Amino acid sequence: MHNWPFSWLPPADVSQDGWRADGLFWYTTTLGAIAFTLVVLALAWSAWKYRAGPGARALYTHGTDRKSFAVTGVLAALVFVTIDMNLVRISERDIKEATYEWPTAPDTIRVEVMPQQWAWNFRYAGPDGVFNTADDVVTFNELRVPAGHPVMLNLKAKDVIHSFYLPNFRLKQDANPGTVTRSWFKALKTGDFEIACSQMCGWAHYKMKGDLIVLNDADFSRWMKEAEGDAKRRYDPGDKEQMWGWEWLQ
Amino acid sequence: MADTTHLRRLYAGADFHAEQHIHPEPTSFVSRYVFSMDHKVIAKQFLWYGLAFLALGGTMAMMIRWQIAHPGTAFPVLGELLWPESGGVMPPQAYASFFTMHGTLMIFFAITPILIGAFGNLLIPLMIGARDMAFPTLNMLSFWTNVLAGTAMIVSFFVPMGAAAGGWQSYPTLSTLAGQPGAGQTLWIAGVFLTGSASIMGAVNYITTVVRLRAPGMGYFQMPLSVWGIWLTAILNALFVPVLAAGVLLLFLDRTFGSHFFLAGAAVTKGGGDPILYQHLFWIFGHPEVYILILPAWGIVSDLLSFFSRKPAFGYKATAISMSVITFLSMVVYGHHMFVVGMSPLLSQGFMTLTMLISIPSAVFFLNWLGTMWRGAIRFATPMLFSVGVVFVFGLGGLTGLHLGAISSDIYLHDSYFVVGHFHLTMAASVLLGAFAAIYFWFPKMFGKMMNETLGKWHFWLTIVPITVVFCGMLVVGYGGMQRRLYNTDAYAFLQHLHPVNVWVTRAALFLGASQFLFVVNFLSSLVAGKKASENPWEVGTLEWTVPSPPPHHNFDEIPLVVNGPHEFSHPEVKGKDWLAQNEPIRSETEPAARAAAGS
Amino acid sequence: MTAVAAARFPSTEESRRTSFVGMVMALASWSMMFGGLFFAYAILRLKAGTWPPDGVAPLPRLLPLANTLVLLFSSYVLHRGVRKEADARPGALLGALKATLALGSVFLVLQLAVWVPLWRSGFRIDSGIYGSIFYGLTVFHALHVLAGLAALLVLVPGARSGRLRSGAQSRVRVSAMFWHFVDAVWVVMFVAVYLL
Repeated sequence: MHNWPFSWLPPADVSQDGWRADGLFWYTTTLGAIAFTLVVLALAWSAWKYRAGPGARALYTHGTDRKSFAVTGVLAALVFVTIDMNLVRISERDIKEATYEWPTAPDTIRVEVMPQQWAWNFRYAGPDGVFNTADDVVTFNELRVPAGHPVMLNLKAKDVIHSFYLPNFRLKQDANPGTVTRSWFKALKTGDFEIACSQMCGWAHYKMKGDLIVLNDADFSRWMKEAEGDAKRRYDPGDKEQMWGWEWLQ
Repeated sequence: MADTTHLRRLYAGADFHAEQHIHPEPTSFVSRYVFSMDHKVIAKQFLWYGLAFLALGGTMAMMIRWQIAHPGTAFPVLGELLWPESGGVMPPQAYASFFTMHGTLMIFFAITPILIGAFGNLLIPLMIGARDMAFPTLNMLSFWTNVLAGTAMIVSFFVPMGAAAGGWQSYPTLSTLAGQPGAGQTLWIAGVFLTGSASIMGAVNYITTVVRLRAPGMGYFQMPLSVWGIWLTAILNALFVPVLAAGVLLLFLDRTFGSHFFLAGAAVTKGGGDPILYQHLFWIFGHPEVYILILPAWGIVSDLLSFFSRKPAFGYKATAISMSVITFLSMVVYGHHMFVVGMSPLLSQGFMTLTMLISIPSAVFFLNWLGTMWRGAIRFATPMLFSVGVVFVFGLGGLTGLHLGAISSDIYLHDSYFVVGHFHLTMAASVLLGAFAAIYFWFPKMFGKMMNETLGKWHFWLTIVPITVVFCGMLVVGYGGMQRRLYNTDAYAFLQHLHPVNVWVTRAALFLGASQFLFVVNFLSSLVAGKKASENPWEVGTLEWTVPSPPPHHNFDEIPLVVNGPHEFSHPEVKGKDWLAQNEPIRSETEPAARAAAGS
Repeated sequence: MTAVAAARFPSTEESRRTSFVGMVMALASWSMMFGGLFFAYAILRLKAGTWPPDGVAPLPRLLPLANTLVLLFSSYVLHRGVRKEADARPGALLGALKATLALGSVFLVLQLAVWVPLWRSGFRIDSGIYGSIFYGLTVFHALHVLAGLAALLVLVPGARSGRLRSGAQSRVRVSAMFWHFVDAVWVVMFVAVYLL
């Protein structure tokens, strides 16, 4: 709900792996806040205790004695070991376990995503399992997926660089013209969620919204069957623009 | 205590460097104030030039914030003037040009001229004991080339279809002819190429001057940290601005001659290029660029903290070395701007690890800042307030870099307001506060008058508070999910609850803008009617304070012999005052005893 | 009490060294720019897989090879005429300048002899990435050759009058450094664009 102080939080995370981004964010924020608080306290202490006054004389030191080196060195090493090294460790774990761990399960839904100025095109392979064929299911601005199954994406932009952004999944992946990029996610809940563009793509970048509709298995199958039927009817061999798909990049 | 025995031997009458000659004093108005070769005049030219663009870029920022907080309403006065056909409401196309040009102008035409052009020029010769830069004519050309660049940028606002509108990075394919059909983007390229050339000219000059024209006794580790900061910046400028030049040159060829370096996508028929190549070239420049922008401020703050704490800079050598290490590391971390582009995971991980390494030297010099103030006798004049302000905002901003350097948090935060908050804290707030610290501090030397302390203190407090609110607010909405470069958030339900935060950020931004009038009034009135400045009103030891305010054309009557480091404050052997000039030997009978007494 | 340093005017050696350092930095800058262009070439070529890309005829090699020799010889000639020892021989600098200007002009003419037939045959800068790289790099380099020739041309009146005699003078040395740099860039470019 949107009451202060919780109203500033990101939208609900309905994904399998979105917790990683939030977790690392708060981990970093906590450690950073501790470090920053110490810095501010040190500044405030010096400002108060060591301000110039009658008889006040600064300590003459260049900070090159062994004790100073030790203190500075230890603190710097402490910052690096407790913060930086942990951030790297956690990120590497996330990368290995999720981000680039493309799903290989047979129930993976594959979708080709082609953003354009200023809308989203989606393509499913259809019954033949091959992309860019007559039986492909193609949707415009609406991506339907089943909950509980991995969804693997191939992305390629039509015109300029766009970025496929699912706020409720903490997911972002750039789509570039000319080359295919990949991403994947798994929804844990059904519902309607938003797709946003997160790379400046022209003056209407701000309204390039799409809909992610997560359905249960039954509803998804029913929709897919209907869509496949539609696709057969809609296929027009004379329309080259319609065949914007590409060979799936594994 | 710095070992100056070798310097004292020099003083005893042994070998000296040769004297420097100086170009003759100019006589005509044009040679004195327009095409001057005097580094002090060129510094002032850059200062006025940079402040003017700062005002322009800042006004644009106010208008951008207005549109975000009050979409569909006209910006007072300027809105009606610029967009009468939409009732004074900024159209989305204009909005895109505004954030593009705000970034471009602030980086290349405000920060660079003020910190590097003005203070680099003013400080380097005076602080190293030279009469002028190594190449005075090149110096003059550098300023005027920049003016040409700025003209191209301003003109670009008035061409059909307006200024460039693809973001300040101008990524293709949005920045290709198809994406940005007007002349605005081409003029942007011309402007960047010209300002880049000016930067390189300046960099070659600064580097050579520091290497060759230091006064006798001024070793690298006797130079003020301000000089270190500007010198390291110049090295990065010389090496990496050319890579940007290569990138925008290829973009220019794509736009003008139909080449295919960056063209790809459905429109390309004859074998496409690679838009991501541009991003590589851009960020190979772009990451060093952010260090280019902050290094002078780091150096200046390091010096000012020492000056006003009346205490030697803590760990001076370690600070200089840390800044050098960061300079080097900045060359190999650029990929952290490209984590969501689709680079190989191995490459991304490499960049992440290297990026994290920067924490170590950063922590060292940051701790040295705190160490300088500790057990000092701190005088809180306006320059000191702003310097402490830099410590505060840079500490905050630097820590948010951690969120962005780690891949799995960066993927969510990429292209969000969290990034905007981060780089404004580290780059805009830190550099701006650093620039103010420098201006308040060296205004007496430049113009021979003192600025008003009361106005200065009010300016500080009425700046630091809103600046923190503005950019922390951006961190909040960024984590909340809001992307950059949005004309409004109407399309997205997930952003609606962040609107009140945006409204507060805008209010703080407008307040921040208004507070700057205190500075403008102070600056202008002090120029006209400020109290006359003595040779050394701040009682510090660097060489620029051993000459009159303002200095004569030839700077030094005689080239000084340096016998001390730049931060010899509160030396126990010095009686009657708590500072020593760099060319002022300690009168001490028993040197070994004195060294023991200093206790280090 | 402030310290005082002796007053002597700067030696020519000192200002020579200053100009040298400046030029070295400037050439480092220029190297990074050409480096950026070679980086672009490398990335595009790696991405392309087959090189030259399908349907594009390979470039001629004879004329460019001749050109490489022309430039290398011009550097040799210039180097000989700009050495300090040449101080003793009147007219050596002028001769070297004239020869280098002539050879440099030959280079530009031969470049045109390579470009014009290719352009006429339909291989242009907008003919995909191969054309983009070929013309982008070689024409940009040729502009630098032109700039180098201009820098040397400016020295001719001084050489003729005897005011400029050798590399002992900064202006001469610095211009010669730039010419050698342009030559070195060409060697790399020749290997990268024509041979590899």
